[in-house]
Amino acid sequence: MASTAPTKERTEQPEDVAEPDVPWIVIVWNDPINLMSYVVFVFQKLFGYSKEKATKLMLDVHHKGKAVVSSGPRERAELDVYRLHSYGLWATMQKDR
Amino acid sequence: MAIFKRIGGNRLRFRLSLEEVSLLHDLPEQLRELLGDERASQTGEGADPVTRRLFPPAYLEPADAEQDAEFHRLMRDDLLRTKLDQLELVSKTLARGNVSSRRWTVELSEEEAAAWLGVLNDVRLALGVRLGITEDFDVPVDLPGQPPELQLLAYLGWLQEHLVEALSA
Repeated sequence: MASTAPTKERTEQPEDVAEPDVPWIVIVWNDPINLMSYVVFVFQKLFGYSKEKATKLMLDVHHKGKAVVSSGPRERAELDVYRLHSYGLWATMQKDR
Repeated sequence: MAIFKRIGGNRLRFRLSLEEVSLLHDLPEQLRELLGDERASQTGEGADPVTRRLFPPAYLEPADAEQDAEFHRLMRDDLLRTKLDQLELVSKTLARGNVSSRRWTVELSEEEAAAWLGVLNDVRLALGVRLGITEDFDVPVDLPGQPPELQLLAYLGWLQEHLVEALSA
C-alpha cells in the first residue's frame, strides 16, 4: 500500500489511558457506485496526491476492498473523513494499531 | 460533441440534448426532498439506508461509538448545508441554460461544475442504495429492458465520467 501510517514507538501503558501519540488512519472502503475516475479525482484534489499515487490508492480500494488514504492526529483524521464524506466517498477512521 | 468542455477562465461549457435536460430536470428537487425528509435527520443504525450512505459513520469500532455520535452532531449540519447549496447551484444552472438548434447549453463556473459533480454523485449513491446494488456493476446505457432507475444510474455515471474528465484536463 502506498500510504502507510508513520510508526511510533509505543511505550507500555494501560489500555484506558489516553494515547495522544497514537496516530489515526483514514480508510476508504470499496463502493460499487463511485466511479474509479471520480475516486482518483477526489484523492488528488483533497490530498494533493499525484495521479499515480491517487490511482494506486483507488486500485487498492477497488481490489482489496479498502485503502488507508491518510493518517495523523484525531482532529486531522476527522477533517479528512468529513471532506471525503462531502465527496460521497465511504470513509472511516480508526486508531492505527 | 463534448458534453463538458473547458472554455478558459476556469469555465466549462455544458451541452446536452433536450431529452437529457428533461431527464435531469426533476433530480435536484427529488434529492432535496430526500435530504429534507424527516428520516434523514436520523443517523446510526436506525437511519434510512440512503441517509446512512450520504451521511456515513466516521467511526466503525464499537468502542468509538460516542465519538461517532459527536462527529455527526458537529458535522452533519455542515454536510447537509453543502449538499443543499450544491443542489441550489445545479437548479440555477438548469434554469439558466439556452436552447439553440435543439441543443441545450450553459456555461458553468468552477464552483457550479463542482456542484454538478457532487449532485450527480449523491443522486447516484441514492439510486444505488434504492436498487440494492452491492457489487460492482457495468450497465450499457441503452440496454433495453433494464429498470428505468438502473438506466438512469448508468446515464448519470456516464455524464459524471465526462465531467471528471473535463475537470481533470
